[in-house]
Amino acid sequence: MSQETSASVKRARKKKNDEYKVKTSMAEVKRQSFLIVTSAIFLVYGFIFYYVPLGGWIMAFENYKPKTGLLHSKWVGLAKFKFLFEDATFIRVIRNTLAMGVLNLVATFFMAILFAILLNEVRTTLIKKGIQTISYMPHFLSWIIVTGILHDALSANGVVNEIIQAFGGTPIMFFSETKYFWPIVAFANVWKETGWNAIIYLAAITSIDPCLYEAASIDGAGRLSKIFHITLPSIRPTIMILLLINVGNVLNAGFEVQYLLGNDVIKSVSDTIDIYVLNWGISQSDFSLGTAAGIFKSVVSIILIVIANNMAKRAGEERLF
Amino acid sequence: MKLKRVLSVALASAMTLALVACGGSSDASAPAATDSAAKTETAAADNGAASGEIIDFTFFGAMPQAEINDGNEIQEIIAQKTGVRVKETWLTGQTAAEAVGTILASGEYPDLIDAGDASVQMYEADALVAWDDYLDKYPNLKEMYSEEEWNMFRQEDGKIYWANVFCNTYGDPKATGHNDEAFWVQARVLEEAGYPEIETLDEYFDLLEGYYAKHPTLDDGTAVIPYTILCEDWRYFCLENAPEFLDGYPNDGSVIVDKSSGTPTIVDYNTTPTAEMYFKKLNEEYNKGMIDPEFATQTYDEYIAKLSTGAVLGMCDQNWDFNYTIQDVFKSTGLDLQGCNYVPLGLTAEKGQENRWHTYADTLNNSSGIAVTTSCKNPDAAFKFLNDIMDQEIHDLRFWGIEGTDYLVDEEGLYYRTDEMRANCADEAYKASHMCQYSYMPQWLGTSRDGVNAMQPSEQYSEFVNGMAEPLVKVFEAYNAKGYPDLIGSVVEENGPWFPMYSYSNAMTTDTEGGVAWTKIGETKHEWLPKVVMSSNFDGTWADYMKAYDACNPQAFLDEMQVELDRRANL
Repeated sequence: MSQETSASVKRARKKKNDEYKVKTSMAEVKRQSFLIVTSAIFLVYGFIFYYVPLGGWIMAFENYKPKTGLLHSKWVGLAKFKFLFEDATFIRVIRNTLAMGVLNLVATFFMAILFAILLNEVRTTLIKKGIQTISYMPHFLSWIIVTGILHDALSANGVVNEIIQAFGGTPIMFFSETKYFWPIVAFANVWKETGWNAIIYLAAITSIDPCLYEAASIDGAGRLSKIFHITLPSIRPTIMILLLINVGNVLNAGFEVQYLLGNDVIKSVSDTIDIYVLNWGISQSDFSLGTAAGIFKSVVSIILIVIANNMAKRAGEERLF
Repeated sequence: MKLKRVLSVALASAMTLALVACGGSSDASAPAATDSAAKTETAAADNGAASGEIIDFTFFGAMPQAEINDGNEIQEIIAQKTGVRVKETWLTGQTAAEAVGTILASGEYPDLIDAGDASVQMYEADALVAWDDYLDKYPNLKEMYSEEEWNMFRQEDGKIYWANVFCNTYGDPKATGHNDEAFWVQARVLEEAGYPEIETLDEYFDLLEGYYAKHPTLDDGTAVIPYTILCEDWRYFCLENAPEFLDGYPNDGSVIVDKSSGTPTIVDYNTTPTAEMYFKKLNEEYNKGMIDPEFATQTYDEYIAKLSTGAVLGMCDQNWDFNYTIQDVFKSTGLDLQGCNYVPLGLTAEKGQENRWHTYADTLNNSSGIAVTTSCKNPDAAFKFLNDIMDQEIHDLRFWGIEGTDYLVDEEGLYYRTDEMRANCADEAYKASHMCQYSYMPQWLGTSRDGVNAMQPSEQYSEFVNGMAEPLVKVFEAYNAKGYPDLIGSVVEENGPWFPMYSYSNAMTTDTEGGVAWTKIGETKHEWLPKVVMSSNFDGTWADYMKAYDACNPQAFLDEMQVELDRRANL
């Protein structure tokens, strides 16, 4: 409600609203008891599993030891954060996380839209369904299997190097040179998720009114102009919403892929914030430092998503909140 | 915490009740044939559990090992005799620190644990049961170490929480092996070169190059790998600590202790001229194509798989890290007859220098060992079990197997094996279903209590000689050696009271400046050493590495090591 609304208008509106407002009577509560209980379950669930654990954030401000516990460990204030930002490794893992996050976002995002539109242009239903089914299969493979396949394919005597050698090249050690790692991760994400992500776009495309295409055909539009002037504008809201959700996930660039594919030689480019948290929080038992790094990640994610949301708002697009 | 304790006590008493209730009928039929079984019964009665009931414990070892099958034959026999069966699980797919950290964070521990270098973290989390109340009760445990040695295990609160089970000799030493680090080379490589004396890195790599030039592939077409380096997780010592030995120092692990000035002084082996020489040599060999191109990224499993094919001519490693597995594999695949077995060489930086690769006396590593956790509902039974498996009868079962099946006894009481038995004991499937060593539980090396045999078959001299394949016998003859230590030719001398210093650095945590430096040094070396080896511009990469190394503040680490060294030297 805008600031300049005068008090009287406000009152009038309130009155009007009140008339429409459902009266909270016992009978009403009873009538909706089932709904109230079911939604309460989710509230309680959310509270217990999303809000109560936040209490653990206290750890980041103390020198937590399992022996002394949350309440009796030594309070150190921002010392752990100070350590974090003075640690060159932490700055590096932020860079890696952001770089791989953005790379993954861009790659999977474009590939999914492109794939959905191309698939939509396939006219034979059987082939279309067949391709769709096959392409989203990899989504159901766990990362350990995908990384296993990649590892074998890209090893010194793997299939990729055999092909390179067949064409007279020298074998490439993909996992011992830093420059290959980010592209490999982006490729793995694209391979695994393109088919799955495309499903949403395909669904959005099917809901486009066929009349639009017919009208365009009559006006002499070719395939390409139909794609650019009908398909893409029609799925724009879907694209925006998914982009927003994904921007919030940029810092979740991954743990499993990097953890499973990375190694000591290339860890300067492969370690992400999550791996850093694991190394310090679990392996070194410095729960406080791990928590501090985790808090940093959450805060940055929230900032990112708010910025993206505001930008969408400015551009008059769909938004999350 | 309190509620949890109350609950667990309640649960334990409920279980005990149940045990008593259902154990009543089997009481009379329980055999009391052997001494130890009789002891078990009395103790079991003490615990409130009736005899004949077997208590199941869990054990986690923070190191990868082969898991044995459920219902393993010797495990069942031991369970009958001691009343305890322990299900062992081992590290898979994680680093040791991650695995232990996860266990700690969950708050639910296995009954028994060997947490490796993370043992101190277990202690700091109050997760371990002190041994002090049980040591006097259980003589076999008490016997493991002298009073002074036990004192070395004491933590800040003055109590003992774990006991290292390795390198501990009963009676006269029987060692024939070199259970330490060395540069290893296949027997056939030495044979082809006519058994030369190999003393330096240059000679070593010339030897490998010479063989590789003539035999670039195995008979089956597999490419030969002249030299490989394992650098996964904590096992990267295969790459990083050779400079210490090349300079003639013993295995203090993380640092050199220099005694030349009279007062022992800590020296960093990462920055010595020998270190640079060693890595330069590796770099040169890498660029010649003599080193496994995949060495930097291989896992331990991949490394063992490579060695198992017989394609790797040489590497630097600890004997226990590969040889127990590899010797068995070679025996069952027949590669031992082709001379694939590895022979240790005591290399030094300069020709004719003294070396100390071999550790003659026992090494007491007080930084880790077997421990009982607070999750164990019946710690007394757990300690009793650790005690019982050191009884000679059960010790023989663990390491020798069943008499008549796995070994025979001659008129003089000497244990021996037939070729078939040796083959069985080298067979993975047989080991999994039949043998149960409880390999990370208390055990002895040296002479059996019968005064005749070795505690473990690997140390039985007659077994050592008779079990050896022809190519190895020829190596020993050529170098006129009786056992592996003769091949290495290390100086015989007693190590200082501080030895080994790694038992201190292994237990460092990130609570101190030196501990943080130690962690960062490890990370930096893990990342840079392979890069240095693979570099196309050694000098530039080495300079970058030294810069990164200095940024870890190594002096803080060295200072803390010096303080500990002074403390130990004045004990």
